[in-house]
Amino acid sequence: MVKLTIDGKEMEFPEGTSLFDACEKARGEALPHFCYHPDLSVAGVCRLCQVEVEGMPKLTIACNTTIRPDMVVHTRSEKVTKAANQILEMHLINHPVDCPICDQAGECGLQDQYMAYGLYDSQVEMASKVNKAKAEVIGPHVVLDQERCVLCSRCVRFCDEITGTGELGIYNRGDRAELGTAPGTELDNNYSLNTVDICPVGALTSRDFRFKKRVWMLKAAESVCPGCATGCNVRVDHEAGRIYRLKPRYNPDVNGSWMCDMGRMTYKDVHQAGRLTEPRISGQTVRWTDLKERLAGLTTAAALKLVVGSPHQTLEELYLLKKLGEGRLCGGLAAADRGDGDDLLLDADRSPNRGGLRILDAAETDGAGLAAMIGQAAGTVLIHGGNPAADAAVAEALAAAGDVIYLGTAENETAAAAAVVLPVAMWAEKPGVFVNKDGRLQEFKQAVARQGNAREDWRLLAEILELRGQDVPGSLKGLREEMTASLELEVDLNRMPGSGFVPGGVNA
Amino acid sequence: MSNSVEGQTEFALSPAGLAKIDGLIERYPTKASAIMPCIWVIMDEVGYVPEGGVELLVEKLDVTRARVHEILTFYTMFRSEPQAEYTLQVCHNISCHIMGARPVIAHLEKRLGIRLGETTPDRKFALEGVECLAACGMGPCLQLGKHLYEHLTPEKIDGLLENLRRGVVPRADTEREGVE
Amino acid sequence: MSPGDTKILSARFDRTDGHRLDVYEQDGGYKALRLALTGMKPAEVTAVVKESGLRGRGGAGFPTGVKWGFVPKDAEDVYFFVNADESEPGTFKDRYCLDYDPHMTLEGTIISCYAVGAKLAFIYIRGEFGWLIDRVQKAVDEAYAAGYLGRDILGSGFDLDVIVHKGAGAYICGEETGLINSVEGVKGQPKIKPPFPAVSGFLDKPTIVNNVESVAAVPWILNHGAAAYKAFGTEKSAGTKLWSVSGPVKNPGVYEVPLGIPFREFFNDYLGGMVDGEDLKAVIVGGSSVPVLPADEMMSCNLDYESLSSAGTMLGSGGMIIIPASCDMVELIQVLMHFYYDESCGQCTPCREGTGWLHRIVKKMRRGEGTTGDIDLLEHVCNGMAGLTICPLSDAAVMPMRSFIEKFRPEFEALIKETAPAGPQSRWPRGEQE
Repeated sequence: MVKLTIDGKEMEFPEGTSLFDACEKARGEALPHFCYHPDLSVAGVCRLCQVEVEGMPKLTIACNTTIRPDMVVHTRSEKVTKAANQILEMHLINHPVDCPICDQAGECGLQDQYMAYGLYDSQVEMASKVNKAKAEVIGPHVVLDQERCVLCSRCVRFCDEITGTGELGIYNRGDRAELGTAPGTELDNNYSLNTVDICPVGALTSRDFRFKKRVWMLKAAESVCPGCATGCNVRVDHEAGRIYRLKPRYNPDVNGSWMCDMGRMTYKDVHQAGRLTEPRISGQTVRWTDLKERLAGLTTAAALKLVVGSPHQTLEELYLLKKLGEGRLCGGLAAADRGDGDDLLLDADRSPNRGGLRILDAAETDGAGLAAMIGQAAGTVLIHGGNPAADAAVAEALAAAGDVIYLGTAENETAAAAAVVLPVAMWAEKPGVFVNKDGRLQEFKQAVARQGNAREDWRLLAEILELRGQDVPGSLKGLREEMTASLELEVDLNRMPGSGFVPGGVNA
Repeated sequence: MSNSVEGQTEFALSPAGLAKIDGLIERYPTKASAIMPCIWVIMDEVGYVPEGGVELLVEKLDVTRARVHEILTFYTMFRSEPQAEYTLQVCHNISCHIMGARPVIAHLEKRLGIRLGETTPDRKFALEGVECLAACGMGPCLQLGKHLYEHLTPEKIDGLLENLRRGVVPRADTEREGVE
Repeated sequence: MSPGDTKILSARFDRTDGHRLDVYEQDGGYKALRLALTGMKPAEVTAVVKESGLRGRGGAGFPTGVKWGFVPKDAEDVYFFVNADESEPGTFKDRYCLDYDPHMTLEGTIISCYAVGAKLAFIYIRGEFGWLIDRVQKAVDEAYAAGYLGRDILGSGFDLDVIVHKGAGAYICGEETGLINSVEGVKGQPKIKPPFPAVSGFLDKPTIVNNVESVAAVPWILNHGAAAYKAFGTEKSAGTKLWSVSGPVKNPGVYEVPLGIPFREFFNDYLGGMVDGEDLKAVIVGGSSVPVLPADEMMSCNLDYESLSSAGTMLGSGGMIIIPASCDMVELIQVLMHFYYDESCGQCTPCREGTGWLHRIVKKMRRGEGTTGDIDLLEHVCNGMAGLTICPLSDAAVMPMRSFIEKFRPEFEALIKETAPAGPQSRWPRGEQE
């Protein structure tokens, strides 16, 4: 451990710690900066994180300094504050006054740092500012405004170091320097929107989010991406029941600072047309109250012969499904929700909770197998989530089957095949736990309200169990308490660590 | 030096040029480090680096297109567009300025009928202002490709232009006997 | 050059055949290499150069032997770069070394590589020296043929390859880490330090970058000894310096003189004073990136590092620009500010934006649109640039800008008030723009 003094406070950090990180911990907030990013190489070009280190003749950038024993550092001295003010001014002299039309307003590094370190009157004539390209679509997801760019090079380093695709460069010299793709190429990789996240200003913006919502109107919910088994931690930005975008949430054990573009767009499923919002019997919309008796009859222990879950359901739901199945739960089709994985975050398993199926021993099968199980079930078949009827054999079996109940979120073949269709919640409309490809349990929170008369899945399943006369927990907390005891997961599901938990693994 | 305007469409480096590039890749410690001399091979043969040249560099050196374009736009001597037949580069930095660079530029502008930074309509002459050419004690000076002309006067300029109009690049004082 | 002068570096500058190997060898060339490789250990060579007091002649003035000593002992893969990117306005002495005496630079390079343990050296020649690159390449070829380069040089077991690398027009590649980056195949933008090149430079290996004039002195130092070199110059400024002189003096050109000679003597006896009709107004003594001195202040200086430093300027590259009274200082500063605006690599914000802003303000003033706040604004911009950047280009723009205002403020004020000071005729009509 290395001892040093920052702003009069004596502190201790592991050897090799960056002075930038040490100062952030000491101050409770980061030093002013643009180009530094903990997951990218050090560039040292914005010059904002300069601090005073006693004994050194000039100010020094903290991002490129490793702490040394007995260093005495000042981060708020007059010299340092003046430098930040002057360097910030340099960043702004050619910056277009776009705030009224710029998506970044409200989460902009220039705005934030101007309020903290600037607050001066500009001495630059508007007409003399250097002009560059504006509103240039540079790929399927990203728009570039070269004038707004502060040339921090984060995006260039991201494409070089993280995706290894190198689409971006900075061309020309001096104040003619401009960011862009090489002529005839696009920023088109599955991680392109991360450049929008890390762009501290409105130079790189999302085509999808462009002009849709002022960021200060958005509320945030901590969630997990449902797109694949990696389970990138995300933040769901929403307002008045609509999700506007997903942003990655930092988790050093899962996704670092990133997520993929495919995952980012999964929020659109929540607002797709064809959501199931009303319960149906034989195609007729009914009220939940009218359904209760019929449902009770169909789901008695004697009547309910086959319970099929899916890797899209939460751990809590799968637990209750297994109870419904009297200790037996089929996981659905093993071949469903598969794709190509990559070397970064995207997993070939395109579902969020096969890990949950494993914990509950809910074996998956193939189309023929499931069709056979359906055929042999002389009674009610309850399918929760997924879309097994997309498989021809399963569809045929369901057509010939007795009573089929489908708990689903959107119109599909299985909803069409089921006599009883019960609308339930998508991932963003409920809290729950997913288990990722590494067996990591991750909790996610509800972001937006359910649509129409859709039910929260676990409550519906608990209600069905209650109709059978079983005792059920009255709250999610209670359910998790029961699960913690019964599943022996080594973690209290009501006290999950923020970065998730791997039973039997190394945990923070 | 090529002055073809339509040269962007088909690009093929000569076998000798390709051999030079392969040789450079052998000699330099990494492929990427050979990029500047490889660009010079293309520049020397074609006069600029067309898209086909960029493709060649990407393929041979295992670098991204973005990297190639960064290099092409960072250095003033690398060009991505076809150039005029003769590009006259006059130093307008401080010593040459003191010794009369601006009157030299004005004289050239008059003789060529173009302003600094422009090219004649027949694409025979381009007039550029450049920074210090390290001929400060012998200024004003101008560079034409590998030829450095110093101690410029209106008469010398007229003589130079006359030669160039006949397609002759006159020997500069910096080219001494006995050198290759 | 006056007869009887010291000719450590300029022995063959008056010849037209001094670039030939046979001429060089006849003059005693490659004896120092033989001495070093067959009679000395690398550390001993470094010690001699250190003892000699030779300081980097590119502009920084850092003691060459000390720099060599920063290479970690037993380092594998050390790289050596000869900085022949000479682009500092007013400077043209490296060109003379390469043009008239490439073998001197080459011999110095080989000895230096031996001292630091480099097996591969690059001679980075600015692209605009296309007219002399073939001459340098020929010298390298001759050296290979003669066994001074390649494997087991002179039977010493020392191997060295030299690559002549052509630049492509970027002043910033004269900055040592910019030069390294340029050869690595990325833009020639300077690297952040730490790490320092001697420890981790080219391809993350120990790297030494030396100016042409610095390595060119090494053969003489080895042949004659450190004490003989120190006998020239002053205590802290040992040896001789190649001064590049430009401007309306009677005898501009490249001069080799021992460090310490009074400027007054140099100006009168060597340069012959001003040409008829011109008066001395100011001198930029070390290349455009150092503060300007008015004539009277310059006259009381000696031409060495310390004297110039205490006068408020720097020896720098020794690019001496003589400014006559007939020159408009604001016009000259516009020329210089355009240079730094043109050459800023654009990597770090204070320089990228500041060089552009300085140029814009001066241009605006010369267009006749200057206001009283503009001089203070120029100083304000300088304050936002100096000492805050990755490399000294920012300071290189600030030093002339600040010193021109400090020493010639009335000219700036007169321009704003639209009254020209009596005397200066513009060499550039104010209406015309760049």
